[in-house]
Amino acid sequence: MRKIITCTLVALIAIGMIFAQGLKEEKASFPDPEKTIKIICPQGAGGGTDTQTRQLAEAMKAVSGFDNIIVENITGGSTGIGTNAVIDAEADGYTLLMYGTYVICGTMTGNTDGFEKLDFITGLDLELFLIAVKSDSRFKSLDDVIKHAKKNPGKVTLGNAGATATTGVVAYGLNVALDSIFNVVSFNGGKELIPAVIGGHCDVGIFSQSEVKANIDQLTPIAFLGDDHSIVPEFSNVPTLAEAGYPDLKVPGGCFRGICTTQGTPKEAKAWLADTIEKAFNTESFQGWLRTNGLLSQFTKLDEFDKFNDDLVETMKPILKATGLAKGKYAN
Amino acid sequence: MSDFLTGLSLVAHISTILWCAFGSILGIVLGALPGLTATMGIALVIPISYQLDTATGIGLLLSVYCGAVCGASIPAILLGIPGNPNAIATVDDGQKMTKKGLAGQALGSAVIASTIGGLGSEIFLIFFSPLIAQMTLAFGPAEKCTLSLVGIVIIAAVSGKDILKGLLMGAVGFVFAFLGPDPMSGAVRIPFAALLRKTPLSNGLDLTSTLIGLYGVSQVFSELENIRNGQRGEICTNIGKIFPPFRKILSMWKIILSSLGIGTLIGAIPGTGASIAVFLSRNAAETICANSNGKLEKPGTGCLEGVFAPEVANNACTGGALIPALSLGIPGDSATAVLIGALMINGITPGFALFSQNMPLVYSIFITLCIANIFMGLFQLAGVRVYPQILRISQRILMPIVLILSFIGSYAIAGASVSKGIFNLGTALFMGLFGYYMKKNHYPIAPVVLGLILGGMFEEQFRRAVKLGAGTLSRFYTSGICLFFILLAVAIIVSTTIRRRKEKNA
Repeated sequence: MRKIITCTLVALIAIGMIFAQGLKEEKASFPDPEKTIKIICPQGAGGGTDTQTRQLAEAMKAVSGFDNIIVENITGGSTGIGTNAVIDAEADGYTLLMYGTYVICGTMTGNTDGFEKLDFITGLDLELFLIAVKSDSRFKSLDDVIKHAKKNPGKVTLGNAGATATTGVVAYGLNVALDSIFNVVSFNGGKELIPAVIGGHCDVGIFSQSEVKANIDQLTPIAFLGDDHSIVPEFSNVPTLAEAGYPDLKVPGGCFRGICTTQGTPKEAKAWLADTIEKAFNTESFQGWLRTNGLLSQFTKLDEFDKFNDDLVETMKPILKATGLAKGKYAN
Repeated sequence: MSDFLTGLSLVAHISTILWCAFGSILGIVLGALPGLTATMGIALVIPISYQLDTATGIGLLLSVYCGAVCGASIPAILLGIPGNPNAIATVDDGQKMTKKGLAGQALGSAVIASTIGGLGSEIFLIFFSPLIAQMTLAFGPAEKCTLSLVGIVIIAAVSGKDILKGLLMGAVGFVFAFLGPDPMSGAVRIPFAALLRKTPLSNGLDLTSTLIGLYGVSQVFSELENIRNGQRGEICTNIGKIFPPFRKILSMWKIILSSLGIGTLIGAIPGTGASIAVFLSRNAAETICANSNGKLEKPGTGCLEGVFAPEVANNACTGGALIPALSLGIPGDSATAVLIGALMINGITPGFALFSQNMPLVYSIFITLCIANIFMGLFQLAGVRVYPQILRISQRILMPIVLILSFIGSYAIAGASVSKGIFNLGTALFMGLFGYYMKKNHYPIAPVVLGLILGGMFEEQFRRAVKLGAGTLSRFYTSGICLFFILLAVAIIVSTTIRRRKEKNA
């Protein structure tokens, strides 16, 4: 008898606790001041993506008054490990991913389930890519490079930051479109590509705009890869691919960045995040930072961003397939 | 001169001094804990530096950086467990000195050597930065490949008595290095790829967890076995003198200069790093000692020479790594990559323009680096009498603590990724068991580490050099630097063989 009473009491207390928890959860609104919003940057601390993540986190704190926002760098697996950490996190809106073109590459090359298992919050901006040579190179224009490479197939080396990095995909995409006239060489990130081009070990490189800007005395940009012009004064005279005489070459023109979260996150959390990021994006400090670094605004929100991403994926599909890097359904 | 004075005024605040002091202490503590690296320390204080003035923030970051490199020598000397990869070459002589009852002198020399290395490389940084930066540009994939070849040859030198066993372990290190993504195509290169491609193994072994396992966890297992067998182990709690004789330091001037040069240059070459520099400088020290007509002791016997060489070199790497970081905007190692990011967060783009447009800030960086090195020396020296007290703790208590710290370190290095953290724990445990059985059967551990570090670098740079040469080896025989390194490698093999023969005959 005593056992039955004890069991009933324990069961009642347990049910009571579950109800109490449920009531508490119902009342809790996003964000809970006891919790921390973590923005995972899948690239190393110190790079362009990391710097932008930290700028955004600071702007978010300023506009929302919510101070528990931190940045975590989870690197490796060509950004796949950081992306997977967000995919596997609890779908409560407290784990965000600094999404980028690199995640699209990672999804198609099979390193992560990537965009298929993420919810889209906001698109942010585009960092332009450009082709550059060392300042005393014999090549003065993109036309010089391509004409020389056509005459001597396989002799001109075209460097990029890694086979599965976005600049790698762009390099292979260019080469496929130009009947493999280049010797495409992948380096271990910009930190090895920049000295290799400046030091004359590699003829031509594909860089992000900020990398060239930081080394403008030693690198000469010869063309932007997309259709967009730079807002950086130093690069105002650099032609786009079309202006350089190659309107038919279509490759991703830069690295797009945005914020995603774990799939299945409640709508109200996503709405709060999207609104806060929009306000942060529009602050004078963040906009000033974008301008200083020459990044182009491409703000989109929730469904709009989803649609934008679909278009981006469609542009990249044929390139990844042609390069042979695509895996699974993207290879067919 | 006015630029220098403006730079000085940027740092001449009590808050800068206090933050640098805090950074040094934090750096030393982080460096001394197994698995916590300089890179991690810097990443940890970035949010704080963001709130400070630029010069103060940079001072804090540099203090953590220098402190962590120096602090790693404490557990290496006392327990035979390097705090992080910077101290792997200090383990051998450092621990032997501790067993001889010279722990105080080993720790004291490590501090003096680190300070000499840090301040010496800063002199290179201040006066020869543009020149060295241009020199590092001459290092392309072929040159880095042959540099790693020189390192690989050293495997024979660190193999102990049995070269064959050393080479075998070096080969095992190579095999470990080949796990992970293909450096050229990014393709997954692991066993059971279909099953494991989305696990952290697809990214290869984590170097720090491997080190923790090979040195830390395996050491705990060995000690536990000693406890079970009732052996007290060779523990000497005698601290002895702290400062090595001044004359002795002076007599090692050749070792100090060569380690300083090796450390600064290797630190400045992106994609190399302190873990290679420490072995190269130790090997150079061996050659210098062999030609000293008995005036200097041979590294490996538990002598000051074996502590000085790697400890000068690893801190020289800190100044070296800043050379391409400040003058080219290219990080020399992962810690300086984080530093560059911190500068950029503060709105400063490192590169040639920094020197031409913002000299006061450059001077303020030089001054804070100097403060960081001095604080590092002072704070670590202040604790030299305290650290060896841990040896008085019973092994039954100390070893479980070391084991827990080792596991916490390998888990923490993964940051927020739980799966990577668990994987690192597994790596540390596996390597611990592997290291334990190898040591038990008298197979040396250092060659595994060298194989792991250099194997990956050699493969990656070799394949890139061949790709740049359109499938030929032309990049190797057309480069003077490559030919020099190849000859150096041959010279090391010949001199090691001759030295060993002499030793056998003697």
